[in-house]
Amino acid sequence: MDDWKPSPLIKPFGARKKRSWYLTWKYKLTNQRALRRFCQTGAVLFLLVTVIVNIKLILDTRRAISEANDDPEPEQDYDEALGHLEPPRRRGSGPRRVLDVEVYSSRSKVYVAVDGTTVLEDEAREQGRGIHVIVLNQATGHVMAKRVFDTYSPHEDEAMVLFLNMVAPGRVLICTVKDEGSFHLKDTAKALLRSLGSQAGPALGWRDTWAFVGRKGGPVLGEKHSKSPALSSWGDPVLLKTDVPLSSAEEAECHWADTELNRRRRRFCGKVEGYGSVCSCKDPTPIEFSPDPLPDNKVLNVPVAVIAGNRPNYLYRMLRSLLSAQGVSPQMVTVFIDGYYEEPMDVVALFGLRGIQHTPISIKNARVSQHYKASLTATFNLFPEAKFAVVLEEDLDIAVDFFSFLSQSIHLLEEDDSLYCISAWNDQGYEHTAEDPALLYRVETMPGLGWVLRKSLYKEELEPKWPTPEKLWDWDMWMRMPEQRRGRECIIPDVSRSYHFGIVGLNMNGYFHEAYFKKHKFNTVPGVQLRNVDSLKKEAYEVEIHRLLSEAEVLDHSRNPCEDSFLPDTEGHTYVAFIQMEKDDDFTTWTQLAKCLHIWDLDVRGNHRGLWRLFRKKNHFLVVGVPASPYSVKKPPSVTPIFLEPPPKEEGAPGAAEQT
Amino acid sequence: MSRINKNVILALLTLTSSAFLLFQLYYYKHYLSTKNGAGLSKSKGSQIGFDSTQWRALKKFIVLTSSQNVPVFLIDPLILELINKNFEQVKNTSRGSTSECKFFCVPRDFTVFALQYHLWKNEEGWFRIAENMGFQCLKIESKDPRLDGIDSLSGTEIPLHYICKLATHAIHLVVFHERSGNYLWHGHLRLKRHIDRKFVPFRKLQFGRYPGAFDRPELQQVTVDGLEVLIPKNPMHFLEEIPHSRFIECRYKEARAFFQQYLDDNTVEAMAFRKNAKELLQLAAKTLNKLGVQFWLSSGTCLGWYRQCNIIPYSRDVDLGIFIQDYKPDIILAFQDAGLPLKHKFGKVEDSLELSFQGKDDVKLDIFFFYEETDHMWNGGTQAKTGKKFKYLFPKFTLCWTEFVDMKVHVPCETIEYIEANYGKTWKIPVKTWDWKRSPSNVQPNGIWPISEWDEVIQLY
Repeated sequence: MDDWKPSPLIKPFGARKKRSWYLTWKYKLTNQRALRRFCQTGAVLFLLVTVIVNIKLILDTRRAISEANDDPEPEQDYDEALGHLEPPRRRGSGPRRVLDVEVYSSRSKVYVAVDGTTVLEDEAREQGRGIHVIVLNQATGHVMAKRVFDTYSPHEDEAMVLFLNMVAPGRVLICTVKDEGSFHLKDTAKALLRSLGSQAGPALGWRDTWAFVGRKGGPVLGEKHSKSPALSSWGDPVLLKTDVPLSSAEEAECHWADTELNRRRRRFCGKVEGYGSVCSCKDPTPIEFSPDPLPDNKVLNVPVAVIAGNRPNYLYRMLRSLLSAQGVSPQMVTVFIDGYYEEPMDVVALFGLRGIQHTPISIKNARVSQHYKASLTATFNLFPEAKFAVVLEEDLDIAVDFFSFLSQSIHLLEEDDSLYCISAWNDQGYEHTAEDPALLYRVETMPGLGWVLRKSLYKEELEPKWPTPEKLWDWDMWMRMPEQRRGRECIIPDVSRSYHFGIVGLNMNGYFHEAYFKKHKFNTVPGVQLRNVDSLKKEAYEVEIHRLLSEAEVLDHSRNPCEDSFLPDTEGHTYVAFIQMEKDDDFTTWTQLAKCLHIWDLDVRGNHRGLWRLFRKKNHFLVVGVPASPYSVKKPPSVTPIFLEPPPKEEGAPGAAEQT
Repeated sequence: MSRINKNVILALLTLTSSAFLLFQLYYYKHYLSTKNGAGLSKSKGSQIGFDSTQWRALKKFIVLTSSQNVPVFLIDPLILELINKNFEQVKNTSRGSTSECKFFCVPRDFTVFALQYHLWKNEEGWFRIAENMGFQCLKIESKDPRLDGIDSLSGTEIPLHYICKLATHAIHLVVFHERSGNYLWHGHLRLKRHIDRKFVPFRKLQFGRYPGAFDRPELQQVTVDGLEVLIPKNPMHFLEEIPHSRFIECRYKEARAFFQQYLDDNTVEAMAFRKNAKELLQLAAKTLNKLGVQFWLSSGTCLGWYRQCNIIPYSRDVDLGIFIQDYKPDIILAFQDAGLPLKHKFGKVEDSLELSFQGKDDVKLDIFFFYEETDHMWNGGTQAKTGKKFKYLFPKFTLCWTEFVDMKVHVPCETIEYIEANYGKTWKIPVKTWDWKRSPSNVQPNGIWPISEWDEVIQLY
């Protein structure tokens, strides 16, 4: 159209526009060549328009399809309420590459702040003495572990060495001393501190203050130390301020194969420290155990409730043993955590189990008791078809044949109304008093520590009258009360199927544990076939006891029962001794006997109608309380029951209340 | 070529092009409407046979679930209905003998399966395997309602729905959870903010608009279009349940608040009454369910459920409602056989029927029959001494499932309206002295029975 020019006479705009178009057209039509060109242009234009319209059509159709799929109302039907808006992700500001760390050490107070956030603050009196250690993730700055080692006391430095060795290389370590941290800090620990690059740590003296920030296996990032001027005074408070450069996330992680399991492992290991080889880059411990399935497993569909508090390391150990036990079904396991603690939840997630947190309602024992109630109720809600529940605690090791033991005995709970529970724990089953893993007892006490609860018992009897939060009762003591137990008994094994390893606990301390729990016998033999399980039923058991007593050899009652020689040096015999027991609740002599046998003596456990059964020197040893026990009839008339005088009351008897 | 001819040609061209454009516009509109009507598969949709994407998606899904031991069964209403109609045929066809894809190839947006969560052993790996097979999956999780009834527990979220898409066909996997009361529950499909709303046409999902409750179905294995699937043994029963499956949760939070204000009665008597009332309710539910009579919690029992998620200990009776059209004369006999003798019968089927049965330990079971009018419902009351009639009016309501004392029972979906009609706006405040003739806010005098009818309408035992 180069040759075509609008008539100069015609103004392109304004009132005469129409006319100009007409003229143009007319002018054009008069010219053949122009016409041809016009037609060509028209065709081209038309094609163009068609193409554009088609493209638009396609686009519109696409949009329309997706719009049609998107409902007009979902805002109401399916959307989360506005309140549930996710917080905006922190983005844009770019990752911070440096952490600003403050560490304070003094006689009465320590604190650690990371980027202005206090991650540790301890100024409580008479508490938190020793070296506080914090581990930070070198890529994110998150606190991965927080520990205090009272290195004023013996052996705590060993625990510290153990812990520090477990920490992965590259992590940021922060140490600070409160009060005193050197008295039992031995050479091994000092050498380790030296290997971390610390100058003052290895030379830490009596009542010195010390603050340290360093990378495990890497450079020291800051250290301050103040010597105590005299024995009776402390070093000056020190405040260490330092910058910690962050490394990239890649460096902080191990390169495990990309599997579901390792994804769990990675999540766990990026968050917490102090679990040893589970986070080892080269050769991590497995977190899936796949123990052999149990043939004819009667407890495969019995839910397992693990009652836990904030002892994640215990929980880790416990779950390992639980998941390694033959016949375990992980999807039946629920861990109930008393409180909003993250780390136990991380442990639960590591093993791919179900975890439930419980907002604490009450204090101390009542809190534990309310936690138990909520956990048991939740268990039966989650598994409405279950007739039983296995109740475990976080400080138990579980025997490899735990489920096998239950599978063989659980029918008793169904068939015998006179049973209260099946427990994996024998209160009197110590290394020197338990022998036969195939043997079961009936006892009037409720041992707990790994036990099976019948749903009907819980729902119909216990739950409705469970102690309310204002009653500061131990749940287990309450369950042992005659109003609840109503004369029913529990089945226990001679050799326990659980092991109580907890040292730190509400009613637990190192001394107490050493005295009463450490020497407990724990079955390690897989697949034990229990003997004569049906003889544990009410009537059958009486027959069994009478048989036992009839064939038992009566011991020489003139000897001192506390002496080792009270029992002959035989094996496989059955012996019986008769002790004085005036009434059903007269346990004077038994308690003394229990004391000198070094078994549980804090209250009466393991009795069945005034009879105790245990092993001594590989002989079955029966103790009958005369005349209260109905088995007193088996006493030969010539035998005088043993009476042991209780020692005069003295102050400072073991203060720890019994609690298992 | 004359000048005019050229003009004509030009005009013709313009016309054609406009016609073409118009056609396109029309087609576009038409296209959209079919889109809305029949959905995804039809649009692409020509292949209706074993090579259709739909069938292939299903086949892949079934292979996936059986290889991964995902315990699923088919609950798609459309397919179940077809199967139900051709049940004999489905039962008789063995694997591979079908020549025509009759069920799975019927065009639709989704195919719905149910997943029995409690039987599922390897939850973790499944998702990735599905994705590796080409499925695009969406998982909808929420907190576990079974923990809601318990003080302050918060757990790992549970999966409620999975939607897996392969090419154009989507599979909606509704997760069924076991609840106390021997029934299966599924959750509300609630999309979180970040979820792509265009992933599938969520609007057309048949499950998930509300939470739902179903009887635990017995299952059977059938071969449908050459694919082995589990379906409910009684597809008819399951299909009938679907439209009435809506479930409402008890208001546990409010109940806790209530108990904080008024404290729970934990005396021995209160506990004994609760136990008895619970047993009576369970017995009544069993008896009525056996007869196939639909009932719901009414009056004080309903209030107890709504206000405190429990039986009100001082209410002294258990109250149920039944629509009069569901009345069967066998009811009385059935209760008698269940050990609940008739205590009194007021009114007659045509008017104000009310039955009372004597449970053990002085707990009474009252059954009120509800009559439907055009704009309201009502039930009647009769004073035995005077023959006076009363009428209790309620706004119209429908029935929903809920869980109460370890049972799946009906309550009015419009509970608050129902309760406020009965107890007024102050229903939250416990009232221990209650006069059924005066206290309810919806009571109306309704005349008096003619003395000649007394023998029939006032029967005391």
